Amino acid sequence: MDDKEENRTVIEAEVPMGTVHPGALEPYRLRLFVEDEIVRDAEMTVGVNHRGVERIMEGLPVEKANSLTEKICGICSNIHIWNSCRVAEIALGIEIPERAIYIRIIMGELERLHSHLLYLAHGCEVLGHETFSMRLFYIRETVMDLLGMIGGNRVQYGSAVLGGVRPRCELDQTRIQKLTEGMDLIEEKLTAFADRFVSDPMVMSRITGVGVTSAEDALRLACSGPTLRATGVKSDLRTEMFEYDPFEFDVITHEDGDVKSQLLMRVFENFEAIKIIRQAIRDLPEGPITNRSWEMKDVPITKSYVEAPRGTLYHSYALEDGRVRNCVIRTPSMANIGAMQYSAIGHHITDAQLCIVQCDPCFTCTDRAIQIIKI
Amino acid sequence: MSLKSYSRGRAVHVMLVYTGGCNGCDIEIVNCILSPKFDAEQYKVFLTWNPREADVLVVTGPVTKHNEQPLREIYKAIPEPKAVVAAGACALMGGVYKNCYGDIPSEEIAGPVDKIIPVDAKVPGCAVRPQDIVAGLVSALPLLLNAD
Repeated sequence: MDDKEENRTVIEAEVPMGTVHPGALEPYRLRLFVEDEIVRDAEMTVGVNHRGVERIMEGLPVEKANSLTEKICGICSNIHIWNSCRVAEIALGIEIPERAIYIRIIMGELERLHSHLLYLAHGCEVLGHETFSMRLFYIRETVMDLLGMIGGNRVQYGSAVLGGVRPRCELDQTRIQKLTEGMDLIEEKLTAFADRFVSDPMVMSRITGVGVTSAEDALRLACSGPTLRATGVKSDLRTEMFEYDPFEFDVITHEDGDVKSQLLMRVFENFEAIKIIRQAIRDLPEGPITNRSWEMKDVPITKSYVEAPRGTLYHSYALEDGRVRNCVIRTPSMANIGAMQYSAIGHHITDAQLCIVQCDPCFTCTDRAIQIIKI
Repeated sequence: MSLKSYSRGRAVHVMLVYTGGCNGCDIEIVNCILSPKFDAEQYKVFLTWNPREADVLVVTGPVTKHNEQPLREIYKAIPEPKAVVAAGACALMGGVYKNCYGDIPSEEIAGPVDKIIPVDAKVPGCAVRPQDIVAGLVSALPLLLNAD
């Protein structure tokens, strides 16, 4: 990247895509600069989806504002509402009951399962292997049913409230039984899928060595989450979150940083998520699920970072008369846009879409209000 | 029976347009057509991303200002007869984004969908349930099949 300044070349052939394009699911604009069908530079523009949830949250009571945050993203909605509640809980010093933390973690890991399975299904569809895609959608259906059972809705379940979880999300014996059965089923099906996937020479030759991002480049581009872990950097915020302290799990890393390691890393991360859910079910403490004895006070801007399925998620706001002020949200896909552009460079133009999909983009989250201030 | 309605009786192509929703509805629709549990493909309903071969346009999201013009153009590009299904609370009435800026006219949201293009079927829900999407698609089908 550095020698570009010195030998500045003008690439005339440009392939614009978007904002609405048959190859891309979500609206975003992508410009590929090509030479002999090899991508020499890529430029990605987001902002088409901007709706301004932070603006709606401004001045709302904190309970209402929390429930709005899950409308940011339909894939990782639980982690948004969890993190938004976490900001207020840190700021006001609310103690959360043990049982509520465990239920939040179960919801979070179920969400990670469904997000990663969706990623794999989408990746297989972009690869052109629709059978794998349908198979993964079938596995994902089990997770969606479990989420629907606990939260009452298949997508926006909103389990976390200030001080605990919603009474609807209480886990009784029947639900625990169903969760246990579901985890066994998912593990069995996912193992069968992984065996079939890695033993398919066609798929493996298609994805090996494509869209490589090295560890140094990933760190330089400030990637986060699974995209960073697939390049070999051991970075997982779950190891630093106090909620995850009682749980034993491995941080999965893969060395190569290509599409193969991105896909396989998420398969193995799914097994870790199943492991965490099993531990949470086994050690589920008794007791209340909401702590209602807290007092509202004015607090300055408080920050909270959590590990969303796609990487580091940041929420911050201040509280004034019980109302939200100066809300800032930074979603993980924002950090991974650099890797999306970078990994496409040097590959054939037909691999460009695959290189973008491998970083697990979610542009509906990413379109947050960004003000660039000149210093 | 014309050639077109004969072929349409064999296969209905659905085009999905994201106009700035939260991805929840979009994935439920893709899920409802591709996933083996609901599997609308077995009833010859196919997902396409090409407006020229589409019969039904499914619109999700509150239609942001940037997406307004593309949506109109996609609607124009679909050959007649066509049907439009608006799916999800955002597409129907703007959802939580409707009154985004209070009394000030919104700078971001141009929707809901029926302000921009005519809507034939409306599917409620946040996010829409796959069963409802199938019902919505089925209710839009007579418009296509009885067109000539």
